[in-house]
Amino acid sequence: MSVRCICVVMQLAARGQCVKTAEEANRTEPEVNTAKDSSMALPEFLGKAELLKQGAEARVYRAQFLGKPTIVKERFKKQYRHPVLDEKLTHRRTVQEVRSILRCRRAGISAPVVYFVDYTSHCIFLEEITGSATVRDHITSAQQPDSCPDPQLERLAQRVGQILAKMHDEDVIHGDLTTSNMLLRLSPEDGESDLVLIDFGLSYISALPEDKGVDLYVLEKAFLSTHPNTEALFEKLLKSYAASSKKSSAVIKKLDEVRLRGRKRSMVG
Amino acid sequence: MQLTHVLELYPDHSVTQMLFKEVKNAAELRQKAVEGKIYAALINPTMLVNPLQVLVAANKAVHLQKIGKMKTRSLYSEIIFNLSPTNNISEAFKRFGISDGDDSVMVVLVHNKQESKLLSDITALVDGRQVQVEDVSSLSDPAKIKKLYKVTPQEEKSSTLLDAVVCRMATKDVM
Repeated sequence: MSVRCICVVMQLAARGQCVKTAEEANRTEPEVNTAKDSSMALPEFLGKAELLKQGAEARVYRAQFLGKPTIVKERFKKQYRHPVLDEKLTHRRTVQEVRSILRCRRAGISAPVVYFVDYTSHCIFLEEITGSATVRDHITSAQQPDSCPDPQLERLAQRVGQILAKMHDEDVIHGDLTTSNMLLRLSPEDGESDLVLIDFGLSYISALPEDKGVDLYVLEKAFLSTHPNTEALFEKLLKSYAASSKKSSAVIKKLDEVRLRGRKRSMVG
Repeated sequence: MQLTHVLELYPDHSVTQMLFKEVKNAAELRQKAVEGKIYAALINPTMLVNPLQVLVAANKAVHLQKIGKMKTRSLYSEIIFNLSPTNNISEAFKRFGISDGDDSVMVVLVHNKQESKLLSDITALVDGRQVQVEDVSSLSDPAKIKKLYKVTPQEEKSSTLLDAVVCRMATKDVM
């Protein structure tokens, strides 16, 4: 405790000096004396940001960044893990998430723009998808007994199937497919809504039909439990997946296997 | 006419962009920058889609300077390096820095709150006509940008060129 106090005092003293000579320092040797306050910038920034959600893995904030509405995903320290393991896992997941987003975007799948990644505090700064609703909310409201535009829902299910097929053809496994992780963004020009995939926190790259099958199985479980009586709708989704993906037959076969045994094949962990 | 933005993560740092057309002394400016006599990044505006692109590069440069992990020697060379999609420093300077024959230049400064002296010093050095920073989009060369950043046709359908470019800049160190 006392050691930490001294450290803080020293840091403050160092910063005080820094302020006095800041102008000269900036002009002659900009690198000097700047490393000390680096740890201060982010907590202060996040302190002012609006906390949207906290999960087991990360906190999600909303803030203005570079003049843009931005979502910041902060993977915080897990006290229950060994620090070295924690650092390694957190770093890898941050990198993985960013990689999958770019891979999807390159294939023409809409995903949030990455503005900035801070690998020291494991924060990802993402474009906020403004004016959007989750597919979950969309289906829920369309399923109300008084409103019944069913062909629209079928079109949506087909779109989802097509996009997931495209994603799997790029060997991206999302890892957490739910209707809450798909957003519908109304595009201002043509009024057509754009389907945006979000939360690639559990994603990874794999070409195995097994992994793709499990990815679909996770979606099926989530879909049918959040939206009762949608078996026919999900069937439409799978059909359109099978029709759009080049390698779908092996995946669908695996999906049938996974349904019988559950998603864990290796039966460890 | 210039565009100044306070970095949200580092509120004591501001980034100012100034765009000049009809520049006649590009060679002299480049020489001064190489010698370290100009405290600014001189960027070739044909490679810029939008001022946001510069902000993303500058924010990352300031961040890396703070944590002591810059890949190049100065904050300003780091800004130019961050614009590039590759990790090749000399190629970044060649593509994104100014060349002797250029007739337009984007000047980028990182400074504390009030630094009008710094701005006027630079303005005095450039022999050209200052224009609105937003005009940079009229100077940009989309074909060259798409080729260098390897923006795919299917990506263009679902995203703007600016978003595609920014994404690559922000993630290049793990690709």
